[in-house]
Amino acid sequence: MAESYRRGHPGHALFILPYLTAFVVLLAFPLFWSIWLSLHKVDLFGPGRFVGLTNYTRVLADPVFLQAFRNTILFVALSVPTLVALGLFLALALNRTTRTTSFFRGLFFSSSVLSVTIVTLIWRFVFIPRDGLIPVIFEQLGLQPINFLSTSGWSLFAVGVATVWWCLGLPMMLFLAALQQIPADLYEAAALDNASPWRVLRRITLPSIARTIMLVTIIQIVMQFQLFGQAQLMTNGGPNGTSRPLVMYIYETGFIRWDVGKGAAASELLFLIILCAAMVQYIISTRKPEVRE
Amino acid sequence: MSRDQSTYRPETLTASRPLLWIAALLSVVMMAPVAWLVGLSIKNNRELMLGTESVFRLPYTLVNYVNILHSSQAFGWFFNSMIVAIGQTIGVLVLSSLAGYAFARLEFPLRRTIFVIVLFGLAVPEQAVIIARHQMFNWFGLHNSHLGLMLPGMSSAFGVFLMTQFFRAIPKEIDEAALLDNASQWRIFWKIMLPLTLPAQATLGIFTFLHAWNDYWWPLISATKKEMYTLTIGIASSQTNFAQSEGLGFLSAQAVFASLPVLIVYIFFQRHIVTAVSGGAVK
Amino acid sequence: MRRFLLCTAAMAALSWSSFAHAQTVIELQRFFGACEADYGKVTDVSSAVGECGIITSLINKFGADNPDIDVNVTTVEWPGYDQLNAQLASGAAPDVVSIHYSAISDYQARGLIEPVDEILAAQGIDPASFTDAARSGVTKEGQMFGLPFDNWTMLFHVNLNLMKEAGLVNADGTPILPKSIDEFFAQGKQFKEKTGKPYLVQILANETAVYARMLYTFLQQQNSDFFADPTKIKLMTPEARNVVEFMKRINDEGLTTPGLDYAAAVSAFANGAGGIAVNGTWLIGDYVAQSEKSDTALAGGYTVYPVPQLFPERDSTYADGHAWVLPKKDRTAEQTAALGKLFKFLAENDFQWARTGHLPAVKAVFDMPEFKALPFRDNIAKIAETGRSLPAEVQRQFAIQDIIGDEIGAAINGDKSVDDALESAESRINDLLANI
Repeated sequence: MAESYRRGHPGHALFILPYLTAFVVLLAFPLFWSIWLSLHKVDLFGPGRFVGLTNYTRVLADPVFLQAFRNTILFVALSVPTLVALGLFLALALNRTTRTTSFFRGLFFSSSVLSVTIVTLIWRFVFIPRDGLIPVIFEQLGLQPINFLSTSGWSLFAVGVATVWWCLGLPMMLFLAALQQIPADLYEAAALDNASPWRVLRRITLPSIARTIMLVTIIQIVMQFQLFGQAQLMTNGGPNGTSRPLVMYIYETGFIRWDVGKGAAASELLFLIILCAAMVQYIISTRKPEVRE
Repeated sequence: MSRDQSTYRPETLTASRPLLWIAALLSVVMMAPVAWLVGLSIKNNRELMLGTESVFRLPYTLVNYVNILHSSQAFGWFFNSMIVAIGQTIGVLVLSSLAGYAFARLEFPLRRTIFVIVLFGLAVPEQAVIIARHQMFNWFGLHNSHLGLMLPGMSSAFGVFLMTQFFRAIPKEIDEAALLDNASQWRIFWKIMLPLTLPAQATLGIFTFLHAWNDYWWPLISATKKEMYTLTIGIASSQTNFAQSEGLGFLSAQAVFASLPVLIVYIFFQRHIVTAVSGGAVK
Repeated sequence: MRRFLLCTAAMAALSWSSFAHAQTVIELQRFFGACEADYGKVTDVSSAVGECGIITSLINKFGADNPDIDVNVTTVEWPGYDQLNAQLASGAAPDVVSIHYSAISDYQARGLIEPVDEILAAQGIDPASFTDAARSGVTKEGQMFGLPFDNWTMLFHVNLNLMKEAGLVNADGTPILPKSIDEFFAQGKQFKEKTGKPYLVQILANETAVYARMLYTFLQQQNSDFFADPTKIKLMTPEARNVVEFMKRINDEGLTTPGLDYAAAVSAFANGAGGIAVNGTWLIGDYVAQSEKSDTALAGGYTVYPVPQLFPERDSTYADGHAWVLPKKDRTAEQTAALGKLFKFLAENDFQWARTGHLPAVKAVFDMPEFKALPFRDNIAKIAETGRSLPAEVQRQFAIQDIIGDEIGAAINGDKSVDDALESAESRINDLLANI
């Protein structure tokens, strides 16, 4: 590694100073405050009473929290790989600049511009019994209709479909940006070897964008762990709590029940969970031998 | 040689026809719900209440859109959303580019430690900080102001992470050459590096704008005066609690109305990505 | 800097206008939606329809009648409590806010809203002029903490055309409704056999409140004192089991539409998907309008009744309602007086609000010929006496509703046994209430 030219210089830290200020004031400080809140029995309106770790033990003993935890893990485990794979596929398919591909890029991105209220409104039309798109299709095919939004298992699946549809734009765009940064000479060399497209994909394309794959995966893990609006609006966490994600649990505890301390404790736990998941992913992907570094 | 180059441009190797066909098929699945939404937005509320299949029948009407424009506050909300989204986007782009460049290509004390701490920030869910933030902004009197709506988004570690990754991907030879010319770090950043990251800037810009535009929780509890509502909050506030059954057409029209500006911003940025890349900047 | 200048300019403009007109400004915050396009300037209240139209024109009318008072209306997304909490937390609450009876105890217990007895007295409004159901909805610890505006409940909306087909209509054209659980299933079965359609159209997905409202109703009908201690619910009782088993049996015997959410249930009934829709007071107007058209499933065949008494002990229906409360804050004497005038105006015009389908909070409205002339109001007027809310001290009623919805939904779906669901609901609710 040619480190010599990067003379270590404290002055270089000036580049990060503006962001670091925002980070400390707007993120780190409120986070520590919230940790402080999590040690109190407190509502939204006033000073609380110090209770130590009681809120944490209450959260961890709450079967609803544990169920929400399982739901969230399951959701992340299914939605993130789907988003990464589909995003990569679309980027590969649309990686050239013609009128057709620009049109398709715009099209696949267009769902991302919608707000969560609208996304759920749309997908409700697809899933709802009687009038919905899927029930109508099932009926035509003579299949037994499934109440997607009110059957255990299917409700979280329905939320996942809506989420993938909504969030696909970002992975696709990040992969496209990465693909376009691959130097053309790599492909020229492959062309001279008469390599098959599949081999080119595995030997050149994927290794070149390994960093982006890691980036997209981590971003998606972080985002999908924070699932909330889709579940709240499509299924309200039901039936029997099988589609209630952790953030919804936090919202119900802190805002509906005014149990701010317990809500804060749950949100610190969520923070730890996301941190672990992202770190694991980061370690796994940086350990892989990279072709270009 | 030039012939070879044009035949084996990177895109031709990855974007083959069959892939494109599958993508086209997928796009139908993608678009059907959106088309449905647009269809609903040009139908009368009363008709939809009886059944949504009336979308496939005449008559169509623009009355829902006219009603949005009649609501005297829609333009004010639109204006608020624009200011907040643009302000936040500029803020995030500036902060993330500076920090990303330093983390990726410069050496300074505690660089790795600080970077890891910032990455920790990526994992902080909004719910973990929103109550404390609300109280803090209350002290500073920042509620019900554009600045108060813009600021929280600027602390997002997402942009820094993204830009760091992109700056790292730029070959080292480029700034090595510049350093030999004795250019200052600032000059290298501004004149050489920044232009190379335009695709990433565009991506980050679009997503910050989108996020700010569709943000719900923070504006809901920070902008509680109707003059300061963003479009998302304003639209939600004007719905009755029975909107899904009684005002479906109006609801859909509001959705289309609120989404259009973002789509336009995207189309605008997308053109820039294309020019930045096909200009061969990274060659 | 620019913001500072703008603020100064705005403040200057504000102080100038208040100086010029000596206006009293009151900030009113409400849900019910915005409809400025249709009602922005309407002051003729009798021409307005729907919740939004009527409340908007009511406030317009008040402003026109009182040129010295400026009512600055902010609409919030239903139910608006997140916003209200944020405002209360930052000391920026509005002067008067729309609220559900079921939410008042939370704010009252925390000292966040003010009693209104003095304001009502100053305007000569007698608390006894409100119905019992309405008055008890806002009364906490012997004081009234808001102006009651209406009562609403779940009702049986009946499709008479289908009931005729099922042979469930009396000679006088009224529907035959069940008077006991056995009759319910007998009639439900008969309905299903004759029409091939489910007897009930229920909201079983997404919205949880309906489960809770039906449970409360049928517990009340059995005289079950499930909230004898307002900080502890009792659900492990034979009465509660009766109710949940009844609701589950409806599902098991296929007597209800499955899996519909609120919006789907509303349109399903309008399209003739079942005989009886279990839904709120607010839908009366829409369904009446559809029954007056010739090409709808409800054409000439719609009526509505309270949820029937299915248990012998007592006729009762769980009722909630809307009220106007005053967040605690410093007000000038002029503002307080203006709020009093607004309350008086709203109480005097309670008939107009009752046109939405909600039941009036003011007793006298029930005797008005105009009210009696409204469709089907005589059918449901008895709810003013049979309507009951939870005991006044019960807090976090929204959260309790959610838990009940979760658990009872699970029992009805067959995800849990009835006993497990009731046990789990009881312990979750009591954990919630023990930790307020």
